[in-house]
Amino acid sequence: MMTMPPRLRKGALTAHVACSVGSLGAVAAFLVLAVTAMRTGDEGLARAAYPAMDVIARLVVLPLVLASLVTGVVQALGTPWGLFRHYWVLTKLLLTLLVAGVLLLQLELVSHLARGAASGSLSLGELRALGTSPALHAAGGLVVLLLPVVLSLYKPRGLTRHGWRKQHQQVA
Amino acid sequence: MAEPPPYPGRPRWVKAALLVAAVVVVLLVLLMALGGGRHGPGRHLPGGASELGAAAPGSAGGAAESRP
Repeated sequence: MMTMPPRLRKGALTAHVACSVGSLGAVAAFLVLAVTAMRTGDEGLARAAYPAMDVIARLVVLPLVLASLVTGVVQALGTPWGLFRHYWVLTKLLLTLLVAGVLLLQLELVSHLARGAASGSLSLGELRALGTSPALHAAGGLVVLLLPVVLSLYKPRGLTRHGWRKQHQQVA
Repeated sequence: MAEPPPYPGRPRWVKAALLVAAVVVVLLVLLMALGGGRHGPGRHLPGGASELGAAAPGSAGGAAESRP
């Protein structure tokens, strides 16, 4: 395995942490807007919230989640941790893939809400009914995105079968 | 070359996480089944399901009109 030199490794780690924590903050902002749109009595504010959610989802959350995924894979492959050797790394990969997948599936609905809110083609009641799904998914996403942060900090022990084999090949 | 020692198995936290994930998946499947059996953003969009059937008059059943 080709490992990165220490300076590059630190840079890659910094990028990964920034993207991961940044995506958490962006999803939190999205969730606040989604809840505000559902709870406020001010129709203008509710209608303004959906286009803002669309912009945040497309231009902030999605790029950060994808960057977190890419920098995480680079970080794993460029260090002795590997991508499939330790359960905590593998779990992080799967959780980030799950978030990216759900996010991609939600984008169309969020854009639909933004257009409906801006053009007036959707009533406030319809916006709120349809807006429940992005709010629930954002709340779930926030929880799921927190798990990789916890895993990165605690790095719980546990080699996969592949990691076990590789480790003993290196020792032998 | 000596044989590697046998794989000790998954750690406890992985087993617990798998259990929690299985419970969450079962709960989601149950929720989907109770909620009409469909899930995903498609059900909210035009042609997806009946939720937009109640769209405002003039919107012709939803946001298809508002799409570019």
